[in-house]
Formats: sequence, structure tokens, C-alpha cells
Amino acid sequence: METLLSSLPDIPTAIALESGTSAAVEIALDVRALSLWYGKRRVLEDVSFGVPARKITALVGPSGSGKSSLLRCVNRLNDEIAECRVEGQVLIGGADAYANDTVVHELRRRVGMVFQRPNPFPLTVYENVAYGLRLLGMKHRRELDEHIESALRSASLWDEVAARLDESALTLSLGQQQRLVIARALAVGPEILLMDEPASALDPAATLRFEELLHRLAERYTVLLVTHNMQQAARVSAFTAFLHEGRLIEFGETDALFTNPRERQTEDYITGRYG
Amino acid sequence: MRHGAAGDAGTWLIAGAASICLAVMLMVLLVLLSAGLAPFWPASLVELQLRDGRSVLGERVATSDDTLILRTSERERAGGAYMRIADRDIAAQTRADDAFVIALADGRRLFGRGDASAAAVMAREVASNAIVEETLRPNAMGTPTRIAVFFRHLGRFLGTPSVASASVGGALPALVGTVTLVLLMSLIVMPFGVATAVYLHERSGAAARLVRSAIANLAGVPSIVYGVLGLGLFVHGFGASIDRALYADRLPVPTFGSGGLLWAALTLALLTLPVVVVSVEEGLARIPASLRAGSLALGATRSETMWRLLLPAARPALLTGLILAIARAAGAVAPLMLVGVVKLAPALPIDGEFPYLHPSRQFMHLGFAVYDAALASPDAMRGIPRAFACALLLVGVVIALNLTAIVLRHRLRERYRALES
Amino acid sequence: MGEVVVAAGTVVVLGALLIIPLFLIVNLLPWKPLPIGGWERLGVLLGGSLKAAVCALLVAVPLGIATAVFNAHFCAPRLRGWIKPSLEILEAIPTVVLGLIAVATLAPWLKLNIATLLATLVVVPALLLGAGMIFGHRLRRHQGWLPIGLLPVVLAIVALVVAVASQRSEVSIVPASPWNAVLIGLALGLAAVPLVFSIAADALMRIPAAHTQAALALGATRWQALTSIVLPAAASGLVAAIVLGASRCIGETMIVLMASGNTPLLGIDPLTGLRTISAELALGLPEAEPSSDVYRMLLLATLALFGLTFVLNLLAERVRASLRRTSTPGMYAA
Repeated sequence: METLLSSLPDIPTAIALESGTSAAVEIALDVRALSLWYGKRRVLEDVSFGVPARKITALVGPSGSGKSSLLRCVNRLNDEIAECRVEGQVLIGGADAYANDTVVHELRRRVGMVFQRPNPFPLTVYENVAYGLRLLGMKHRRELDEHIESALRSASLWDEVAARLDESALTLSLGQQQRLVIARALAVGPEILLMDEPASALDPAATLRFEELLHRLAERYTVLLVTHNMQQAARVSAFTAFLHEGRLIEFGETDALFTNPRERQTEDYITGRYG
Repeated sequence: MRHGAAGDAGTWLIAGAASICLAVMLMVLLVLLSAGLAPFWPASLVELQLRDGRSVLGERVATSDDTLILRTSERERAGGAYMRIADRDIAAQTRADDAFVIALADGRRLFGRGDASAAAVMAREVASNAIVEETLRPNAMGTPTRIAVFFRHLGRFLGTPSVASASVGGALPALVGTVTLVLLMSLIVMPFGVATAVYLHERSGAAARLVRSAIANLAGVPSIVYGVLGLGLFVHGFGASIDRALYADRLPVPTFGSGGLLWAALTLALLTLPVVVVSVEEGLARIPASLRAGSLALGATRSETMWRLLLPAARPALLTGLILAIARAAGAVAPLMLVGVVKLAPALPIDGEFPYLHPSRQFMHLGFAVYDAALASPDAMRGIPRAFACALLLVGVVIALNLTAIVLRHRLRERYRALES
Repeated sequence: MGEVVVAAGTVVVLGALLIIPLFLIVNLLPWKPLPIGGWERLGVLLGGSLKAAVCALLVAVPLGIATAVFNAHFCAPRLRGWIKPSLEILEAIPTVVLGLIAVATLAPWLKLNIATLLATLVVVPALLLGAGMIFGHRLRRHQGWLPIGLLPVVLAIVALVVAVASQRSEVSIVPASPWNAVLIGLALGLAAVPLVFSIAADALMRIPAAHTQAALALGATRWQALTSIVLPAAASGLVAAIVLGASRCIGETMIVLMASGNTPLLGIDPLTGLRTISAELALGLPEAEPSSDVYRMLLLATLALFGLTFVLNLLAERVRASLRRTSTPGMYAA
């Protein structure tokens, strides 16, 4: 067991804070030596890092560096792509997502995902949020109502849609739709939220509201957030991982990484020299 | 039940449906190939010794569980010498090397045993004034010889005119008729189809939407209805009027007042118009807007841009539309049954006599030949194989045309993908 | 000059569509009553056309829509590039050739083996469902290539059925005629599969893949995403596919001409022949004298046929146009 642990790449299970004090941080999502191939093309190479629980971790890097693919590995959405091969481990609460006995649909319940463009189902607001609950077998109206209201409140959307639950979700504004899909993901009670550039389709006002929501969500959920927007990453996240061409270049506290990056490539990207 | 088991079951069921579609397509092509090529293969001759002491020589044309049908020497007429023999009545079966078959020019086949002089004697005795097409000894042929004879038969089928009740008589007149018809139709349909496509490309608005809707509806009209229009309006309407005006001296024998090449070509042009319009419009739509903007910016009018730049650039799409129209016309038999196709045309619609193209003549058509051979042949044992042979030829041509269109369409997409990026 | 040509072309197109009903109506006026039994005959013919269409749709709709659903939602991308052209080849085969195969190859076999056919129709789906439940879990990663994997199985089953059928000597279900509605259902249905498939596939490809991805991210299986999101969203397009398929079957001539026996009977029994409007036109018009009673009746039948198919096509086009307005194609293909 010892030899196995020592052969794994260095995992920041204890992250040294720049201020000098070190404290053990609980890791909700542990990525170990993750490699991903689409056919012959290698998309991720030996990525290892730990996402701390109930904090927002930003995933940044130039286009094509594999950020979205990494997210899709966590909830095994990549399984849907033919000719996709994965090596390594993704540990959620200690259990490897890629173990042979992992039940994929349960995994996906524990890990919620929010996509780049809001994609509510062509159903009513109510049915959108109820979708995941119905998959779990929930049938009674009273129970559904409770869970749906709770999810919509957590997504800061309840006040705006309480009177419109039976209207088509497509009639909501873009910002409201994005919060609706968050509510949809929250309804099934995940521990981790994966977000792929969730604010990129929103206008500045809606983005601001969205970032406020993110802070609130981080109190209860672990958030892994892919973003192109460096300022957003700086505003919102506690930790940041910098990915470049499929490799993890640097991982650390956001403040430290932005003001005093260890790697040259990180500095170049942050200061806008490329990417 | 295991989670997702119902889903797996459903997935396998619909995958099975897709599989069945593929399987059926393969089987159809297989049946066509085997039944279509079989008539040209020189089959062995068998001599059966029957239990009642008789001995018969001939070729097997059909077998079922317990009987077989044998074609014996056709002394009087083709199709007049079939014997139905039950399996249990057969005592022995031999394939003698010296058995020969004489194929006469009028379609009859004679069987016998012996050497070359014996064959000559039989030919003279049975059919004194008949012309011998070929004499074969199939039982003595090795595989290379059989292959050579196979190709010879195939060549005869494709290159010579058919004989009234010939075994698998030639398809040349039907081919010529089909090709002439299709050429004439193309001359008519292309200008109008391109014109309409240009209109739809240039304009949008209520009128264009109406035209587009009309095209979609035209595409859905049953082909036989076009035939009725062709018969009623063109043949009995225009044709009768033309006869009264120009050919009054020939009446009551109709010239244009009965079915013929011209009316058939016109009818098919209407039928295939939507195909051409859709294809050309699709081609024009794929041309990047930048090309057109560039031309207009240089001072060209919309008309000039269209005729000098866009249409030439959409040439593959025009070609695709033409090819698809031809493929459709080659297969449309129903309307032709009303406007001029015949089982056996007295003359070809195109020949050496002025004015070389005779649009008022009746013609033969490959698709109709399939129908006619299958259902209206006096000799069913010959009719079905002939139908399959014609069907194989027809399908071969149609599939070749469609594949060409697919390749062209693919190349057009690739060409413009490069232009756009 | 160019403008004139363009205008001429469009006039021809619009004119062509109007000319058909106009011509028919003009020739039917002034109205003279039909000969005795004329309306009955028209009824029988219409019934025949509808019966043929229904039998054909029973074959074409399950096969066409199931294949389209698989193609759009489960199929491996490389295989998708083969399924569509294969069905296009099937569509290219002239119906006269399909009629020939029906008459020469299928009919003799079917005459003696209707019971075997029915048994196959029950056994094969049951086998597929069962196999899916048992093996589906293990093969889920490869389910995109399932039709290829199942192909030898399907062919083996067909061979088995034919072999078993030829061994049995007694015939349990004897059809009244070898040219019957079952034969037509198979042949005409097969001819209509490519059309149903292409309309249904088009409708399904317009449903954004994002919906399926979102459903999967919430823990749904691919099948659940299909039944709860994709199929309801594409429902109108699927209905359009069925309606267009019906229109095509009603208007088809060669297959029914060759394989229906052309007997003017009207009944529910699928083992009897029938006579359709299109067959009547093909057989009756060449001999009819213009302006005779028979001729007028045939023109009326043509008008009925045109009207029916026109209405069906219009309905389907309306449905498809509204589907096109509310979604965009291509890029979202699953």
C-alpha cells in the first residue's frame, strides 16, 4: 500500500497556504494521473490535483487545453463519445468513478453539471426541475413540490418563477434559464457542481448576479468552474488550476497563483502574453 | 429489474429494426444479382430416365419440393415443350458430354445427343428455314469456357434487339428507347427547373413561399396522376389538335394524337421538375455569400452575377439535379403506360431516317419491359428470367446514377467548405 | 432577358400544380351522373388504396421510425454514414423491380408460409428484447454498432425460418389468393421505409444534442433521455413522416399492379386481393374512349386520388415547416 501511494504523483492533500500556516483541507474530488484520448489524439496528460470541498476551484487555460474534457471525465459524460479512452483515477469521496463496479447514473446524481449555454428542456419550469427527481422515482406531488421549491430557492430563482411554474422554460430570460438549469442540477442533491463557462452567455448584469449565486452555492457545494474570464476567476474562486495543452501546469490558491505564479507559462497566460 | 434493463431491451429492439433494414436491402440486391445473371449462365443439360421407361433430355427451369419442370426440345414453338416431372418418377439422372442445345433465332431451343453432324441434321429436320444462333455443349464445358459463353450471352443481351418470344432476348431497343426518352426529357426539364431555382434563390417573400410550397406538393403527386394528365391533356388534347391542324390527311390514324415519345418526355419532365429545382437551389444556397457580394461590389447587376458567376459555380448541383431526374425517369413506369410505351415498338424512335428523331413514335422502356416480361409474357418460364435480367440492368444504371450524384454532391460540399474557411 | 426566363420557369411550376386539378375538373363538367354502380366501384377502389396503404404502413412505420431513432440517438457516427446511403439505395430501386421480386420470389414462398411469417413476427422482437435485457448491460459501450453485430443474427434467423418452413409439408394458413394484402404490405411497406426514415431522421436530428447531454448529466440513461425528452420533442415530425408515408403508399402504382391481383374486393381480411385507384387508372385508361362514361369515371377517380394525396402532403408540410421554424438543423445533431 505504501509503495502504491508513493508511486502516485504528488497530490496536494495538504495545501500550504501562502501566509505560512498549513492546514489540511478536505478534498472532495481527487484527480489522479488522469489521461484522456479521443481516438488517437491525447487530450489530457497525467493530470493530478485535488479539488477542496465547499470551495470554488477555477479551471483556466487557453482554448483547447482540455478544460471541458476534464469536466466531462468527472461525471463520465465522455463515456458517450465513441473511441474515448481514459486512464487514471477520479476519486469522489474516496471512490473511483472509473472503477468497474461504479454505477454511472448514481455517480451523475452526485456530480451536477451546468453547461455553457443554458439548455432547459422543452418542458415547463416545474418539469425541468422535477426531471432528475422523477428519474429517482419520486412521484408524490407534495414531495416533488418541496424539493423543487428548495432547489429553486438555492438557485436564487424561486421568487421570480413561483407564479410561472407551469409555463414553458423557454420563455425565461437567459439569466433565468441558467439559474433554472442550476436548480435542475441541485434538485437531486449533488455534492459537487461542475460548471463549464456558465456565465459566458450572460450579459454583465446577469453575470454579476450569477457570481453572487456562486458564492452562496459554495457554502454547501464543491464547485469546479471552467472559465475563460481571468477576472471572474480572480473574483470568484479560492483555488485555481491552470491547464495547458492537456497538462496541469500549476495549481494553488487563487491569490497566490495570480500575484506570484510559480511557472513561467502560468505567468505568461495570466498577463495575457498568449492565450 | 436491473436499472436500465428496459432501456437496453428497447435499444436492442430498434437496433434490430435497423439491422433488418440493412439485411433486407442486401437480400434484395442479392436476389436481383443472382436471378438477373442466372439466365446468361450456360446451364447443364440433364437426361432423366423415368420409371415408366421413357427417357427425356432437356434443361431444368424450375424445381420445387417434389417436382421439377424440364424444358425439352421445342419443335413447334418456344414455350410449348415443358414437362412437369415428379421426383419420385425419376429412376436415374445423367449428364452426357455429347448432349447439345441448339438455339434458334426465333427463340426456340432444341436438345439432342451426338456429334456435330447429328446437331446439323436435327437443325435441318426440325426447322428447315430457321436460322441457328448458336450450338452449345454445356456439359462438356470447363469453367473458363462457361465464363466466356456467359459474357457472350450478356453482350448479346445488351447489344442486340429483342426477338418476339426469345429466351432472354436482347434489351437494346428498350435501352435505346429509355435513353432517347430521358435525353428529350432532360432538354425540357433543365431550363425550367434552373429558372425556377434561380427565382427561389433570388427572391423571398410570399410569392417565393408559394412556389416553394408548390414544388413540395408537386413532388408528392402520385406518378400515375402525371400519366393521366399526359394522356388527357397532351395526347387527347394537344395531340389531337396538332393532328387536326397539321396531319389532317393522315386521320383517323393518329400521329401526335396517340401516345409517343414527345408526350412521354413532357410528362416525365413535369414529374422530375421538383427534383431538379430542389437540387439546383441547394447548390446555389451553398455558394458563400461573399462570392456574390464581391461580384455586386464590382458593379455587376444581379442578373449578370447570376448567369456569369453563380450558375457556373453551381454546375455540380445542376449536374446532380439532372442525374437524379434521369434516375427518377428511368424508374417511372406507371405514367408511361398511359402515354406511349409499348411492349414491342415497330421502329426505334431514333434512327437513320430523316428527321432522325421521331417524337411521335411509340417507344420501348426498360422499366416497362420488366413489368411486361413478368406479367404479360406468353411463356412464364422465360418471362420471369427476362424480367430479372432487365431489372438488374435497370437497377444497375439507376444505382450508378445515384452514386455519381452522391459523389458530386460530396465534392461540391468540400469545394465550398474550403472556400468558406 | 434573364428575368423573363426566370418568370417563365416559375409560371410553369405554379401552372403545373394548378393544371392537374383544373384539367380534371374541366373535363368532368358539365356533370353527368356516373353509370350504375360507378360510385360503388369508386368506393371499392378507394377502400383498396387505403387497405394497401394501411398494410404497408404496418411494415414501413415501425421499421422506418425505429431505424431513424437508432440512427439519430444511438448510432456510432461512422455507422451513420453507412445507414443513410443504404436506405437511399433502397429508395432508388424502381418500384417495378420491387414488384417483380414480390411476384416472382416472395409470393410463391408466402403462399405456403403465412403461419411461419406470423411466427417470425412474434419471435424476432421477443428474442431481441430478451437478448437486450440479458446482454445489453455488458455491451453498452458498443451499442452504437449494434445493427452490424445483429446483422448475421438476423440473416441466420431468416435462413432458419426458410429452412424450417420448407421442411413442413402441411400448410396451416391458406390464403384465398397468392396476391394478397400481406404480400402488398411487405413489398409496398419496404418501398416506403426510406421515405419514412428520412423524414423521421430529419425531425430527430433537429433536436439539440444539448438536451440529451443535460439529461445524461442528471443520471438518465440514453434510453430514458430518448423517451422523456427527444421523442416528445420530435413527435410532430414523426407524425409528418407517417402521413407522408401514407400519401406515398396511396399513390403507388407498380407494386400494387403486380402484386395485388387487381381484384375489386373490399374486406378486412388481409389474405384477399384488392384493387387500388392507381391500378384501375393504369389498366383502364389506355382502352377508354375519351368522353365515354368509363373515361369520366376514371377522371373522377384521378381527382379523388390527387385530392387525397394533396391534402396529406399539405398537412405534413405544414407540420414540418413549423418544426423547422422552432429549431435549427445540422449542428445540433446528436
